[in-house]
Amino acid sequence: MRVKSFVHVTLGITTEVLYALCIMLAAFLICAALYLNK
Amino acid sequence: MILKPRLEDIKIIGYYLGKIMVALGFTMLVPIAIGLAFGEINPVLDFIIGTEIALIFGLILIKLCFTEKELSWMQGMIVVSLSWIAAMLLGAIPLYLSGHWKSYLDACFDAMSGFATTGLVLVQDLDHLSYTHNLWRHLIMFIGGQGIVIVALSFFVRGFSGAFKMYVGEARDERVMPNVIHTARFIWLVSIVYLILGTLALGVVAMLNGIKPANAFFHGACIFMAAFDTGGFAPQSQNVLYYHSFLFEIITVIIMILGALNFKLHYHLWVGNRREIFKNIETKTLFITILITFCITAFGLAQIGSYPKALVLFRKGFYQLISGHTGTGFMTIYSRQFINEWNQFSLVGVICAMALGGAVCSTTGAIKMLRVGIIVKALKQDLKRIILPERAIVVQKFHHIKEVFIEDKQARSALLITLAYLVLYGLGAIIGMLFGHPFLDSLFESTSAAANVGLSCGITTVDMPVTLKLTYILQMWAGRLEFMSVFTLIGFFIAAIKGKK
Repeated sequence: MRVKSFVHVTLGITTEVLYALCIMLAAFLICAALYLNK
Repeated sequence: MILKPRLEDIKIIGYYLGKIMVALGFTMLVPIAIGLAFGEINPVLDFIIGTEIALIFGLILIKLCFTEKELSWMQGMIVVSLSWIAAMLLGAIPLYLSGHWKSYLDACFDAMSGFATTGLVLVQDLDHLSYTHNLWRHLIMFIGGQGIVIVALSFFVRGFSGAFKMYVGEARDERVMPNVIHTARFIWLVSIVYLILGTLALGVVAMLNGIKPANAFFHGACIFMAAFDTGGFAPQSQNVLYYHSFLFEIITVIIMILGALNFKLHYHLWVGNRREIFKNIETKTLFITILITFCITAFGLAQIGSYPKALVLFRKGFYQLISGHTGTGFMTIYSRQFINEWNQFSLVGVICAMALGGAVCSTTGAIKMLRVGIIVKALKQDLKRIILPERAIVVQKFHHIKEVFIEDKQARSALLITLAYLVLYGLGAIIGMLFGHPFLDSLFESTSAAANVGLSCGITTVDMPVTLKLTYILQMWAGRLEFMSVFTLIGFFIAAIKGKK
Protein backbone atom coordinates (compact mmCIF):
# COMPACT_ATOMS: atom_id res chain seq x y z
CA MET A 1 0.00 0.00 0.00
CA ARG A 2 1.27 3.48 -0.81
CA VAL A 3 0.02 6.95 -0.02
CA LYS A 4 -0.94 8.07 -3.52
CA SER A 5 -4.46 9.40 -3.43
CA PHE A 6 -5.08 13.01 -2.46
CA VAL A 7 -8.70 12.09 -1.63
CA HIS A 8 -7.60 9.32 0.74
CA VAL A 9 -5.17 11.63 2.50
CA THR A 10 -7.82 14.36 2.85
CA LEU A 11 -10.39 11.91 4.19
CA GLY A 12 -7.78 10.41 6.51
CA ILE A 13 -6.95 13.83 7.94
CA THR A 14 -10.68 14.61 8.30
CA THR A 15 -11.21 11.34 10.21
CA GLU A 16 -8.37 12.21 12.59
CA VAL A 17 -9.70 15.73 13.19
CA LEU A 18 -13.21 14.35 13.80
CA TYR A 19 -11.77 11.92 16.35
CA ALA A 20 -10.16 14.84 18.19
CA LEU A 21 -13.42 16.83 18.03
CA CYS A 22 -15.35 13.84 19.46
CA ILE A 23 -12.99 13.77 22.46
CA MET A 24 -13.51 17.50 22.98
CA LEU A 25 -17.29 17.19 22.69
CA ALA A 26 -17.37 14.36 25.23
CA ALA A 27 -15.22 16.41 27.62
CA PHE A 28 -17.46 19.44 27.20
CA LEU A 29 -20.53 17.31 27.96
CA ILE A 30 -18.84 16.21 31.21
CA CYS A 31 -18.31 19.89 32.12
CA ALA A 32 -21.91 20.74 31.23
CA ALA A 33 -23.22 17.78 33.24
CA LEU A 34 -21.23 18.85 36.30
CA TYR A 35 -22.64 22.38 36.19
CA LEU A 36 -26.21 21.25 35.43
CA ASN A 37 -26.19 19.33 38.70
CA LYS A 38 -25.24 22.44 40.68
CA MET B 1 30.15 -13.92 32.49
CA ILE B 2 30.32 -10.30 31.31
CA LEU B 3 32.81 -9.61 28.53
CA LYS B 4 34.83 -6.41 28.44
CA PRO B 5 33.92 -4.31 25.35
CA ARG B 6 36.49 -4.55 22.57
CA LEU B 7 38.17 -1.58 20.91
CA GLU B 8 36.21 -2.53 17.78
CA ASP B 9 32.91 -1.96 19.68
CA ILE B 10 34.02 1.52 20.72
CA LYS B 11 35.14 2.33 17.16
CA ILE B 12 31.80 1.34 15.66
CA ILE B 13 29.88 3.34 18.29
CA GLY B 14 32.17 6.34 17.75
CA TYR B 15 31.80 6.19 13.96
CA TYR B 16 28.00 6.22 13.98
CA LEU B 17 27.87 8.77 16.79
CA GLY B 18 30.10 11.00 14.67
CA LYS B 19 27.68 10.69 11.72
CA ILE B 20 24.76 11.77 13.89
CA MET B 21 26.75 14.71 15.28
CA VAL B 22 27.50 15.86 11.73
CA ALA B 23 23.79 15.57 10.91
CA LEU B 24 22.99 17.69 13.97
CA GLY B 25 25.51 20.29 12.85
CA PHE B 26 23.72 20.55 9.51
CA THR B 27 20.32 21.07 11.18
CA MET B 28 21.71 24.30 12.67
CA LEU B 29 21.82 25.70 9.13
CA VAL B 30 18.03 26.19 9.36
CA PRO B 31 18.16 28.78 12.18
CA ILE B 32 21.15 30.38 10.43
CA ALA B 33 19.00 30.89 7.31
CA ILE B 34 16.10 32.26 9.38
CA GLY B 35 18.46 34.53 11.32
CA LEU B 36 19.85 35.96 8.09
CA ALA B 37 16.29 36.50 6.79
CA PHE B 38 15.37 38.43 9.96
CA GLY B 39 18.71 40.31 9.96
CA GLU B 40 19.79 38.90 13.34
CA ILE B 41 23.57 38.80 12.91
CA ASN B 42 24.65 38.07 16.51
CA PRO B 43 22.36 35.07 16.93
CA VAL B 44 23.55 33.77 13.55
CA LEU B 45 27.12 33.86 14.87
CA ASP B 46 26.03 31.74 17.86
CA PHE B 47 24.76 29.10 15.46
CA ILE B 48 27.82 29.25 13.23
CA ILE B 49 29.91 28.47 16.34
CA GLY B 50 27.50 25.67 17.26
CA THR B 51 27.62 24.18 13.76
CA GLU B 52 31.41 24.32 13.66
CA ILE B 53 31.76 22.56 17.01
CA ALA B 54 29.28 19.83 15.97
CA LEU B 55 31.02 19.31 12.62
CA ILE B 56 34.52 19.30 14.12
CA PHE B 57 33.68 16.73 16.81
CA GLY B 58 31.57 14.67 14.40
CA LEU B 59 34.22 14.57 11.68
CA ILE B 60 37.00 13.76 14.18
CA LEU B 61 34.94 10.79 15.45
CA ILE B 62 34.23 9.61 11.90
CA LYS B 63 37.92 9.89 10.95
CA LEU B 64 39.27 8.26 14.12
CA CYS B 65 36.70 5.47 14.28
CA PHE B 66 36.20 4.76 10.57
CA THR B 67 34.76 1.30 10.04
CA GLU B 68 32.64 -0.54 7.49
CA LYS B 69 31.25 -3.01 9.98
CA GLU B 70 27.54 -3.20 10.73
CA LEU B 71 26.07 -2.21 14.06
CA SER B 72 25.10 -4.94 16.48
CA TRP B 73 21.96 -4.54 18.63
CA MET B 74 24.02 -3.50 21.65
CA GLN B 75 26.06 -0.98 19.65
CA GLY B 76 22.91 0.45 18.03
CA MET B 77 21.28 1.00 21.40
CA ILE B 78 24.41 2.69 22.79
CA VAL B 79 24.74 4.96 19.75
CA VAL B 80 21.14 6.10 20.29
CA SER B 81 21.50 6.82 24.00
CA LEU B 82 24.80 8.67 23.44
CA SER B 83 23.35 10.55 20.45
CA TRP B 84 20.70 12.11 22.67
CA ILE B 85 23.33 13.25 25.17
CA ALA B 86 25.52 14.60 22.36
CA ALA B 87 22.47 16.37 20.90
CA MET B 88 21.78 18.00 24.25
CA LEU B 89 25.39 19.17 24.66
CA LEU B 90 25.66 20.48 21.09
CA GLY B 91 22.13 21.93 20.90
CA ALA B 92 22.73 23.85 24.13
CA ILE B 93 25.77 25.73 22.73
CA PRO B 94 23.90 28.37 20.67
CA LEU B 95 21.28 28.66 23.43
CA TYR B 96 23.92 29.39 26.06
CA LEU B 97 25.73 31.85 23.78
CA SER B 98 22.50 33.91 23.50
CA GLY B 99 22.88 35.00 27.14
CA HIS B 100 19.29 34.06 28.00
CA TRP B 101 20.33 31.06 30.06
CA LYS B 102 21.99 31.55 33.42
CA SER B 103 24.45 28.68 33.01
CA TYR B 104 25.44 26.06 30.44
CA LEU B 105 23.60 23.48 32.59
CA ASP B 106 20.39 25.51 32.25
CA ALA B 107 20.89 25.61 28.47
CA CYS B 108 21.47 21.82 28.52
CA PHE B 109 18.26 21.43 30.56
CA ASP B 110 16.25 23.31 27.93
CA ALA B 111 18.00 21.49 25.07
CA MET B 112 17.17 18.08 26.58
CA SER B 113 13.66 19.33 27.34
CA GLY B 114 13.36 20.27 23.67
CA PHE B 115 14.85 17.12 22.14
CA ALA B 116 12.86 14.89 24.50
CA THR B 117 9.71 16.95 23.66
CA THR B 118 9.14 17.75 27.32
CA GLY B 119 8.65 21.50 27.51
CA LEU B 120 10.02 22.38 30.96
CA VAL B 121 12.01 25.61 30.65
CA LEU B 122 14.73 27.52 32.48
CA VAL B 123 15.10 30.28 29.89
CA GLN B 124 15.14 33.85 31.17
CA ASP B 125 13.41 36.79 29.52
CA LEU B 126 11.91 34.55 26.83
CA ASP B 127 9.80 37.40 25.46
CA HIS B 128 12.95 39.11 24.19
CA LEU B 129 14.69 36.05 22.77
CA SER B 130 15.69 36.37 19.09
CA TYR B 131 13.65 34.72 16.31
CA THR B 132 16.69 32.59 15.48
CA HIS B 133 17.03 31.11 18.97
CA ASN B 134 13.27 30.76 19.36
CA LEU B 135 13.09 28.84 16.09
CA TRP B 136 15.94 26.59 17.25
CA ARG B 137 14.09 25.81 20.51
CA HIS B 138 11.10 24.66 18.47
CA LEU B 139 13.12 22.96 15.79
CA ILE B 140 14.91 20.76 18.31
CA MET B 141 11.47 19.79 19.54
CA PHE B 142 10.48 18.87 15.98
CA ILE B 143 13.71 16.91 15.50
CA GLY B 144 13.36 15.17 18.85
CA GLY B 145 9.72 14.38 18.19
CA GLN B 146 10.53 12.59 14.96
CA GLY B 147 13.62 11.12 16.59
CA ILE B 148 17.19 12.34 16.19
CA VAL B 149 18.13 9.12 14.43
CA ILE B 150 15.10 9.44 12.11
CA VAL B 151 16.43 12.83 11.03
CA ALA B 152 19.82 11.32 10.32
CA LEU B 153 18.27 8.37 8.51
CA SER B 154 15.98 10.55 6.40
CA PHE B 155 18.17 13.34 5.20
CA PHE B 156 21.80 13.18 6.08
CA VAL B 157 23.00 9.63 6.01
CA ARG B 158 23.21 7.39 2.98
CA GLY B 159 23.66 3.63 3.07
CA PHE B 160 23.13 3.42 6.79
CA SER B 161 23.63 -0.14 7.94
CA GLY B 162 21.97 -1.23 11.15
CA ALA B 163 19.33 1.46 10.74
CA PHE B 164 16.56 -0.66 12.25
CA LYS B 165 18.57 -1.30 15.40
CA MET B 166 18.91 2.42 16.00
CA TYR B 167 15.29 3.02 15.06
CA VAL B 168 14.21 0.53 17.76
CA GLY B 169 16.66 2.03 20.23
CA GLU B 170 14.87 5.33 19.88
CA ALA B 171 11.68 3.82 21.32
CA ARG B 172 10.12 3.23 17.91
CA ASP B 173 9.41 -0.47 17.90
CA GLU B 174 6.89 -0.34 15.08
CA ARG B 175 7.75 -0.08 11.43
CA VAL B 176 5.11 1.70 9.35
CA MET B 177 6.61 0.30 6.15
CA PRO B 178 8.84 -2.72 5.61
CA ASN B 179 11.88 -0.52 4.99
CA VAL B 180 13.00 1.56 7.96
CA ILE B 181 14.25 4.44 5.78
CA HIS B 182 10.84 4.60 4.06
CA THR B 183 9.22 4.54 7.51
CA ALA B 184 11.39 7.48 8.57
CA ARG B 185 10.43 9.37 5.42
CA PHE B 186 6.72 8.65 5.91
CA ILE B 187 6.96 10.04 9.45
CA TRP B 188 8.41 13.21 7.93
CA LEU B 189 5.69 13.31 5.26
CA VAL B 190 2.95 13.26 7.92
CA SER B 191 4.77 15.90 9.95
CA ILE B 192 5.36 18.21 6.97
CA VAL B 193 1.75 17.94 5.72
CA TYR B 194 0.45 18.80 9.18
CA LEU B 195 3.13 21.49 9.58
CA ILE B 196 1.74 23.32 6.54
CA LEU B 197 -1.92 22.90 7.56
CA GLY B 198 -1.31 23.65 11.24
CA THR B 199 0.87 26.69 10.60
CA LEU B 200 -1.72 28.13 8.23
CA ALA B 201 -4.59 27.58 10.68
CA LEU B 202 -2.71 28.95 13.70
CA GLY B 203 -1.17 31.80 11.70
CA VAL B 204 -4.56 32.98 10.41
CA VAL B 205 -6.08 32.86 13.91
CA ALA B 206 -3.08 34.75 15.31
CA MET B 207 -3.53 37.39 12.58
CA LEU B 208 -7.22 37.70 13.42
CA ASN B 209 -6.14 38.35 16.98
CA GLY B 210 -4.05 41.30 15.87
CA ILE B 211 -0.56 39.83 15.46
CA LYS B 212 1.31 41.11 12.38
CA PRO B 213 1.38 38.59 9.44
CA ALA B 214 5.09 37.61 9.56
CA ASN B 215 4.99 37.30 13.33
CA ALA B 216 1.66 35.44 13.24
CA PHE B 217 2.98 32.74 10.92
CA PHE B 218 6.24 32.52 12.88
CA HIS B 219 4.20 31.94 16.04
CA GLY B 220 1.95 29.54 14.12
CA ALA B 221 4.93 27.44 12.96
CA CYS B 222 6.53 27.42 16.42
CA ILE B 223 3.30 26.52 18.22
CA PHE B 224 2.54 23.84 15.63
CA MET B 225 5.96 22.21 16.07
CA ALA B 226 5.52 22.23 19.84
CA ALA B 227 1.94 20.90 19.66
CA PHE B 228 2.33 18.16 17.05
CA ASP B 229 5.55 16.94 18.56
CA THR B 230 3.86 17.12 21.96
CA GLY B 231 6.66 19.37 23.18
CA GLY B 232 5.12 22.39 24.84
CA PHE B 233 7.60 25.21 24.19
CA ALA B 234 6.04 28.51 23.12
CA PRO B 235 7.63 31.70 21.78
CA GLN B 236 6.23 33.73 24.71
CA SER B 237 6.74 33.28 28.45
CA GLN B 238 2.98 33.07 29.04
CA ASN B 239 2.84 30.02 26.79
CA VAL B 240 -0.55 29.57 25.04
CA LEU B 241 -2.23 31.90 27.56
CA TYR B 242 -0.51 34.72 25.63
CA TYR B 243 -2.96 34.37 22.72
CA HIS B 244 -6.20 34.64 24.79
CA SER B 245 -8.10 32.94 21.98
CA PHE B 246 -10.60 30.09 22.33
CA LEU B 247 -10.20 29.18 18.65
CA PHE B 248 -6.42 29.05 19.03
CA GLU B 249 -6.87 26.70 21.99
CA ILE B 250 -9.27 24.44 20.03
CA ILE B 251 -6.80 24.17 17.14
CA THR B 252 -3.90 23.37 19.47
CA VAL B 253 -6.00 20.68 21.21
CA ILE B 254 -6.68 19.05 17.82
CA ILE B 255 -2.97 19.20 16.90
CA MET B 256 -1.95 17.77 20.29
CA ILE B 257 -4.33 14.82 19.84
CA LEU B 258 -3.07 14.23 16.28
CA GLY B 259 0.48 14.25 17.62
CA ALA B 260 -0.46 11.61 20.18
CA LEU B 261 -1.64 9.18 17.49
CA ASN B 262 0.50 6.34 16.18
CA PHE B 263 2.27 7.08 12.88
CA LYS B 264 1.20 3.62 11.75
CA LEU B 265 -2.41 4.65 12.33
CA HIS B 266 -1.83 7.86 10.34
CA TYR B 267 -0.53 5.69 7.50
CA HIS B 268 -3.52 3.35 7.50
CA LEU B 269 -5.97 6.24 7.65
CA TRP B 270 -4.15 7.97 4.82
CA VAL B 271 -4.31 4.94 2.52
CA GLY B 272 -8.06 4.57 2.98
CA ASN B 273 -8.39 2.22 5.96
CA ARG B 274 -10.46 4.76 7.91
CA ARG B 275 -12.39 2.26 10.04
CA GLU B 276 -9.13 1.55 11.85
CA ILE B 277 -9.68 4.60 14.07
CA PHE B 278 -12.84 3.00 15.54
CA LYS B 279 -11.29 -0.44 16.05
CA ASN B 280 -7.72 0.30 17.13
CA ILE B 281 -6.94 -0.52 20.75
CA GLU B 282 -4.89 2.67 21.12
CA THR B 283 -7.56 5.11 19.93
CA LYS B 284 -10.18 3.36 22.06
CA THR B 285 -7.94 3.35 25.14
CA LEU B 286 -6.93 6.98 24.57
CA PHE B 287 -10.58 8.03 24.34
CA ILE B 288 -11.49 6.19 27.55
CA THR B 289 -8.47 7.28 29.61
CA ILE B 290 -8.88 10.93 28.58
CA LEU B 291 -12.49 10.88 29.72
CA ILE B 292 -11.76 9.02 32.99
CA THR B 293 -8.88 11.31 33.97
CA PHE B 294 -10.87 14.38 32.92
CA CYS B 295 -13.81 13.23 35.06
CA ILE B 296 -11.45 13.13 38.06
CA THR B 297 -9.99 16.57 37.28
CA ALA B 298 -13.34 18.17 36.42
CA PHE B 299 -14.98 16.76 39.54
CA GLY B 300 -12.15 18.13 41.67
CA LEU B 301 -12.34 21.56 40.04
CA ALA B 302 -16.14 21.70 40.28
CA GLN B 303 -15.86 20.71 43.95
CA ILE B 304 -13.79 23.75 44.89
CA GLY B 305 -15.55 26.00 42.38
CA SER B 306 -12.40 27.50 40.87
CA TYR B 307 -14.19 28.10 37.59
CA PRO B 308 -17.70 29.54 37.63
CA LYS B 309 -18.98 28.24 34.26
CA ALA B 310 -18.85 24.97 32.30
CA LEU B 311 -17.07 26.68 29.40
CA VAL B 312 -14.36 28.08 31.68
CA LEU B 313 -13.90 24.65 33.27
CA PHE B 314 -13.54 23.20 29.77
CA ARG B 315 -11.06 25.86 28.67
CA LYS B 316 -8.92 25.65 31.79
CA GLY B 317 -9.47 22.12 33.11
CA PHE B 318 -9.68 20.16 29.88
CA TYR B 319 -6.89 22.12 28.21
CA GLN B 320 -4.34 21.33 30.93
CA LEU B 321 -5.62 17.73 31.09
CA ILE B 322 -5.30 17.06 27.36
CA SER B 323 -1.98 18.87 27.33
CA GLY B 324 -0.81 16.49 30.08
CA HIS B 325 -2.32 13.34 28.57
CA THR B 326 -0.78 13.93 25.15
CA GLY B 327 2.52 14.83 26.79
CA THR B 328 2.58 18.33 25.33
CA GLY B 329 2.77 20.68 28.29
CA PHE B 330 1.02 23.74 26.86
CA MET B 331 -0.53 25.80 29.63
CA THR B 332 -3.35 28.32 29.73
CA ILE B 333 -2.87 28.95 33.44
CA TYR B 334 0.19 30.00 35.44
CA SER B 335 2.26 27.27 37.14
CA ARG B 336 1.39 28.30 40.67
CA GLN B 337 -2.33 28.16 39.89
CA PHE B 338 -2.04 24.36 39.97
CA ILE B 339 -1.11 24.66 43.63
CA ASN B 340 -3.14 27.70 44.64
CA GLU B 341 -6.39 27.18 42.69
CA TRP B 342 -6.58 23.44 41.98
CA ASN B 343 -7.28 20.92 44.71
CA GLN B 344 -5.43 17.63 45.20
CA PHE B 345 -8.17 15.62 43.52
CA SER B 346 -7.89 17.60 40.28
CA LEU B 347 -4.09 17.38 40.40
CA VAL B 348 -4.29 13.58 40.74
CA GLY B 349 -6.36 13.49 37.53
CA VAL B 350 -3.67 15.43 35.64
CA ILE B 351 -0.85 13.33 37.14
CA CYS B 352 -2.60 10.11 36.02
CA ALA B 353 -3.13 11.59 32.55
CA MET B 354 0.54 12.60 32.30
CA ALA B 355 1.68 9.18 33.48
CA LEU B 356 -0.35 7.39 30.76
CA GLY B 357 0.69 9.34 27.65
CA GLY B 358 -0.33 8.81 24.01
CA ALA B 359 0.17 6.10 21.42
CA VAL B 360 3.33 4.09 20.74
CA CYS B 361 5.26 5.20 17.65
CA SER B 362 4.01 8.74 18.19
CA THR B 363 5.86 11.76 19.53
CA THR B 364 4.57 11.33 23.08
CA GLY B 365 6.34 9.85 26.08
CA ALA B 366 5.10 7.91 29.14
CA ILE B 367 3.57 4.46 29.50
CA LYS B 368 1.49 4.71 26.31
CA MET B 369 -1.89 3.46 25.22
CA LEU B 370 -0.92 0.15 23.61
CA ARG B 371 0.68 -1.02 26.85
CA VAL B 372 -2.28 0.14 28.95
CA GLY B 373 -4.64 -1.66 26.56
CA ILE B 374 -2.55 -4.87 26.61
CA ILE B 375 -2.35 -4.85 30.43
CA VAL B 376 -6.13 -4.43 30.75
CA LYS B 377 -6.76 -7.21 28.20
CA ALA B 378 -4.26 -9.51 29.93
CA LEU B 379 -5.95 -8.84 33.26
CA LYS B 380 -9.30 -9.70 31.66
CA GLN B 381 -7.77 -12.92 30.31
CA ASP B 382 -6.47 -13.91 33.74
CA LEU B 383 -9.82 -13.18 35.37
CA LYS B 384 -11.56 -15.35 32.79
CA ARG B 385 -9.09 -18.16 33.53
CA ILE B 386 -10.11 -18.01 37.19
CA ILE B 387 -13.85 -17.74 36.60
CA LEU B 388 -14.28 -20.22 33.73
CA PRO B 389 -13.92 -24.01 34.16
CA GLU B 390 -10.32 -25.24 34.16
CA ARG B 391 -10.74 -27.04 30.84
CA ALA B 392 -11.86 -23.87 29.06
CA ILE B 393 -9.39 -22.42 26.60
CA VAL B 394 -9.17 -18.69 27.23
CA VAL B 395 -7.88 -16.47 24.45
CA GLN B 396 -7.87 -12.70 24.41
CA LYS B 397 -7.19 -10.58 21.38
CA PHE B 398 -6.96 -6.92 20.52
CA HIS B 399 -7.07 -4.92 17.32
CA HIS B 400 -3.99 -2.98 16.37
CA ILE B 401 -3.98 -2.67 12.58
CA LYS B 402 -4.73 -6.41 12.59
CA GLU B 403 -6.18 -8.83 15.11
CA VAL B 404 -3.49 -9.87 17.60
CA PHE B 405 -3.79 -12.64 20.19
CA ILE B 406 -2.30 -11.65 23.54
CA GLU B 407 0.78 -13.65 24.46
CA ASP B 408 2.38 -13.76 27.87
CA LYS B 409 5.59 -12.14 26.59
CA GLN B 410 3.63 -9.11 25.32
CA ALA B 411 1.91 -8.66 28.67
CA ARG B 412 5.25 -9.12 30.47
CA SER B 413 6.99 -6.56 28.29
CA ALA B 414 4.13 -4.05 28.73
CA LEU B 415 4.15 -4.55 32.50
CA LEU B 416 7.95 -4.22 32.76
CA ILE B 417 8.04 -0.91 30.89
CA THR B 418 5.07 0.34 32.94
CA LEU B 419 6.86 -0.64 36.12
CA ALA B 420 10.04 1.11 34.96
CA TYR B 421 8.06 4.31 34.33
CA LEU B 422 6.35 4.11 37.72
CA VAL B 423 9.73 3.67 39.42
CA LEU B 424 11.10 6.64 37.47
CA TYR B 425 8.12 8.84 38.47
CA GLY B 426 8.52 7.74 42.10
CA LEU B 427 12.30 8.29 42.24
CA GLY B 428 11.96 11.81 40.89
CA ALA B 429 9.23 12.54 43.42
CA ILE B 430 11.44 11.31 46.29
CA ILE B 431 14.34 13.51 45.14
CA GLY B 432 11.94 16.47 44.89
CA MET B 433 10.80 15.79 48.46
CA LEU B 434 14.43 15.72 49.59
CA PHE B 435 14.57 19.39 48.62
CA GLY B 436 11.53 20.24 50.71
CA HIS B 437 8.71 20.09 48.16
CA PRO B 438 5.38 18.50 49.18
CA PHE B 439 4.72 14.96 47.89
CA LEU B 440 2.02 15.80 45.34
CA ASP B 441 3.96 18.77 43.91
CA SER B 442 7.10 16.62 43.61
CA LEU B 443 5.19 13.78 41.98
CA PHE B 444 3.55 16.23 39.57
CA GLU B 445 6.87 17.72 38.45
CA SER B 446 8.64 14.36 38.36
CA THR B 447 5.90 12.71 36.28
CA SER B 448 5.89 15.73 33.99
CA ALA B 449 9.65 15.38 33.38
CA ALA B 450 9.80 11.58 33.07
CA ALA B 451 6.69 11.36 30.88
CA ASN B 452 8.04 14.19 28.70
CA VAL B 453 5.05 16.42 29.35
CA GLY B 454 6.26 19.84 30.48
CA LEU B 455 3.43 20.99 32.75
CA SER B 456 4.92 22.61 35.83
CA CYS B 457 3.49 23.41 39.24
CA GLY B 458 6.33 25.83 39.89
CA ILE B 459 9.21 23.61 41.04
CA THR B 460 11.14 24.02 37.79
CA THR B 461 12.77 27.41 38.13
CA VAL B 462 16.22 28.83 37.43
CA ASP B 463 16.95 28.75 41.17
CA MET B 464 16.21 25.07 41.73
CA PRO B 465 19.16 23.00 42.99
CA VAL B 466 21.64 21.55 40.49
CA THR B 467 20.83 18.00 41.69
CA LEU B 468 17.17 18.51 40.82
CA LYS B 469 18.08 19.92 37.40
CA LEU B 470 20.27 16.87 36.72
CA THR B 471 17.52 14.54 37.98
CA TYR B 472 14.97 16.01 35.60
CA ILE B 473 17.46 15.90 32.69
CA LEU B 474 18.04 12.18 33.36
CA GLN B 475 14.30 11.57 33.70
CA MET B 476 13.57 13.31 30.40
CA TRP B 477 16.32 11.31 28.67
CA ALA B 478 15.39 7.90 30.10
CA GLY B 479 11.66 8.54 29.67
CA ARG B 480 12.03 9.52 26.01
CA LEU B 481 14.17 6.51 25.12
CA GLU B 482 11.92 4.10 27.06
CA PHE B 483 14.76 2.63 29.09
CA MET B 484 16.19 -0.10 26.84
CA SER B 485 18.92 2.06 25.29
CA VAL B 486 19.66 3.58 28.69
CA PHE B 487 19.90 0.18 30.39
CA THR B 488 22.16 -1.04 27.57
CA LEU B 489 24.46 1.97 28.06
CA ILE B 490 24.63 1.32 31.81
CA GLY B 491 25.36 -2.37 31.07
CA PHE B 492 28.11 -1.33 28.67
CA PHE B 493 29.83 0.79 31.33
CA ILE B 494 29.52 -2.01 33.89
CA ALA B 495 31.03 -4.42 31.36
CA ALA B 496 33.87 -1.97 30.70
CA ILE B 497 34.71 -1.91 34.43
CA LYS B 498 33.91 -5.43 35.57
CA GLY B 499 33.98 -7.47 32.35
CA LYS B 500 36.59 -10.11 31.55
CA LYS B 501 38.81 -9.99 28.47
